[in-house]
Amino acid sequence: MTTLFAVTVNQENVSLSEDLAPRRHALSFQLEAFLDLARTAMARSPKVAALVLLFLVLLFPCVALADVSVSIQLDRKEATLVDSVRMVVSVSGTRSSDLQPMVRGLDSFNVTQGGTASRLEITKGKVNAGVDYTYFIQPKKAGQFQIGPAEVTVEGKSFNSNTATITIIKQPQASEVDRGPLFVNARLSSARAYVEEQPIYTVKLYRQMKVSDISLDLPDTQRLVFKQLGKPLEYQSVLDGKTYQVLEVRYALIPSEAGPYTIEPTRMTMTVYQPGRRTSRGLFDDPFFRDPFFSFSSGRPMTLESQPQALTVLPLPEAGRPADFSGLVGRFDIESNLAPATIKAGESATLTVLVSGRGNVNRIPDLKGPELSHAKVYADEPVLKVETDAEGLAGTKTMKWALVPERQGHYEIPPLSVSFFDSTTHHYRVIKTRPLSLSVLPSQPQTLQASSQGADELPSEGSGKKAVEELGRDILPVHASAKDLAAGYRIRPGEGLFWLILLAPPFLCGLTFWGLKFREKSDQSIAATKAKKAAKNLIQKCRQGRMSSSELALSVRDFLNERFDLALGSLTPEEGAAILTSKGVNLETAERFRSLLQCLEDAVYTGKGHEWCERAEEVSKVIKQIQKEIR
Amino acid sequence: MRRFIWLASMILLVLFLGADGIGAENEQWESLFFRANEAYKEGRFQKAVDGYTRLIQSGHESGHLFYNLGNAYFRLNEPGWAILNYERARLLMPRDADLNFNLRYARDQMQDAVAASESLMNTTFFWLDAFNLYELFWSFAVLNVVFWAILVTRLFMRPDWIFYPFLVVLMVWFIAGFSFGLKWYQVHTDKRSVIVQEEISVLAGPDINDTVLFKLHAGTEVCRERSEDGWSLVSLPDKKRGWVKKEAIERIHWAEKGTH
Repeated sequence: MTTLFAVTVNQENVSLSEDLAPRRHALSFQLEAFLDLARTAMARSPKVAALVLLFLVLLFPCVALADVSVSIQLDRKEATLVDSVRMVVSVSGTRSSDLQPMVRGLDSFNVTQGGTASRLEITKGKVNAGVDYTYFIQPKKAGQFQIGPAEVTVEGKSFNSNTATITIIKQPQASEVDRGPLFVNARLSSARAYVEEQPIYTVKLYRQMKVSDISLDLPDTQRLVFKQLGKPLEYQSVLDGKTYQVLEVRYALIPSEAGPYTIEPTRMTMTVYQPGRRTSRGLFDDPFFRDPFFSFSSGRPMTLESQPQALTVLPLPEAGRPADFSGLVGRFDIESNLAPATIKAGESATLTVLVSGRGNVNRIPDLKGPELSHAKVYADEPVLKVETDAEGLAGTKTMKWALVPERQGHYEIPPLSVSFFDSTTHHYRVIKTRPLSLSVLPSQPQTLQASSQGADELPSEGSGKKAVEELGRDILPVHASAKDLAAGYRIRPGEGLFWLILLAPPFLCGLTFWGLKFREKSDQSIAATKAKKAAKNLIQKCRQGRMSSSELALSVRDFLNERFDLALGSLTPEEGAAILTSKGVNLETAERFRSLLQCLEDAVYTGKGHEWCERAEEVSKVIKQIQKEIR
Repeated sequence: MRRFIWLASMILLVLFLGADGIGAENEQWESLFFRANEAYKEGRFQKAVDGYTRLIQSGHESGHLFYNLGNAYFRLNEPGWAILNYERARLLMPRDADLNFNLRYARDQMQDAVAASESLMNTTFFWLDAFNLYELFWSFAVLNVVFWAILVTRLFMRPDWIFYPFLVVLMVWFIAGFSFGLKWYQVHTDKRSVIVQEEISVLAGPDINDTVLFKLHAGTEVCRERSEDGWSLVSLPDKKRGWVKKEAIERIHWAEKGTH
């Protein structure tokens, strides 16, 4: 069994939501996903992790919770006994279930597991996860079967899916005509239909070859509207003993006028890749490379046509047509609800009428609200929801009215009716809501709250306590404390003190920052000034003349100390040269400096240190050169 | 040393005299406040109104004073002025239970059923109604000090642990600053006014001969859009608009118009 993991965005899911689904589980999963993200960030940097967590804390209220839901989908509605049908059980709202789903209604099928796929969906800030369990089912006998519901257990709680219906037909008689490896077949679910009824037009492309770039041209027939039902299906099927890949597209045909129709052939254009033929034996003349996968040549365009279809559209019968008939054709139900059923005079109750079914749902009429004496009726905007599935168009229209009775009493709400032409029985039918009644109690004066704080609190029902009875109404007394009078002076936005309070902290912060910067800078500039001064002093001393060798050696050492901010007690000529080289003085100058200092030291150590030195001018030149090179 | 003692004595003397002066002044205002309260209790409501109004005009703009003034007007059977002063008090002490009770009660007595206007700003920043401008200002000022103090600390030392409190303070500082700015804007662009006359005709134009569109009664809250030539253009939450005499309405935000 293979396990896949996929992250999908905006994936469409048809699912049946369970009312009892625990939101807690969905929440825990979302937190898990967020914490995964934070953990990844933590591995990189704790600061980034903190920012991610902060972002998630801000984002979290926007993330909606997902319910756990289960759904069953089949890849087709009809199959033959030799076909293998793909069944997917999708579990949404969790990535882990306690066990594999238990699917009912599979007694007449051989079941093979086809793998499990995890998915993570992020749609409009809503994070949802799920698992898809794939099975291949092969029918054992012909007939119509209901598959499902599938039962999944998550954290000890069971969730059930919807059911799916499939019709299994016997293998059709092998036709004598060989239709080849590629052909198109079109079929109408019924050759006779009434106006606005919706027969299903199915186009199937059977292929044993590789094709691509498939496009479909529907016949242009006046007064006939094609409405595609769902996405195209792709599956494998056996016909005349041969296995084909089938691409199936279904349409609802909506005829607007009666009469005979000929639906011209549907054309399918595609690029076909035919198996190539190798004549020469060579390196690739191996059974492995003779596989069709490797042996398709370049494609060529091809257009295929289906056979034409005849359709007779009958007018809706005049006999028995109700006066309020709106042209609605199909199968429909009506439901009504009144909530609450008991109110006080002046309050409102909501009457909801729901018309749902399959057919031309856009023709469901807007019903007129009930007429009640001594009651006002306010109509809400009707809401129509239209869906398409493999069987055609379906939908629901919800109509609501607010009923506000003015007097106490018992109000009978008369049934509301909708008429339609039943496409199954081919007769007109009128469906009605059940009669409803509204009990209206006399309006009571408003109860006085026990205290001004608990303004909206009402006693709980069945507590045996009575609402506080209002005996009189008045305002509360004046405030007698003068403590607040001293607060006459307030800081007003825009005043000097206001700006002082707000701007002083950033100002002080800025001041501290610039103070630190300035101190750093001034330390550097003092050192630079000192360094300049050191050279100037030494050159001046040299110019003044009459310096002994020991004085000159000391002055040179002082120069180095001040120039480079050092604290050397003694200095050898080699050390001096090394310092200069490290500060960017070139080797030649450093060598001149070293030999000068060596001469001075020699004079000091040979007892001539107190004698006048003639090298002062040379020292001055070397110092000037050093200054230049350091600059 | 002598000079220092002399200077210290002078400073103390000035402070003492100053404090005494302020104390005397406070005493005078307190006395006025208690006399107004006495007048209210004895049923001399006009006297109470005069006392409270004088205190407010002297700069003692306290929520309790506006509340008491509203009560006094209510007793004088002037619901327009009562609601106006309750609303003014609500700008200063929005969570006061007595005030909210009396305001609700006064509104129950109103003749016009006008739905409260729910602006997008009020719905989104719902907490702004629960605080007055000064509370939001001081909250922001304290957070401002903490925020910049942390930044200054980080100039001298950068321990790792300081980063997380800094993030929290940054977030709260931002929310507090934003709330304060928004409240400031809300208060200074507050165009709400209250009808203070018993019944007024709202006209199609700023002329006494214009068509009467509808009538409004004391206590009804309107939005004053603009004023010209002694007339004000007002609108209701249900988009009804028209012109009324300028003196028929009083703006809730009192800084511009002063108090009655």
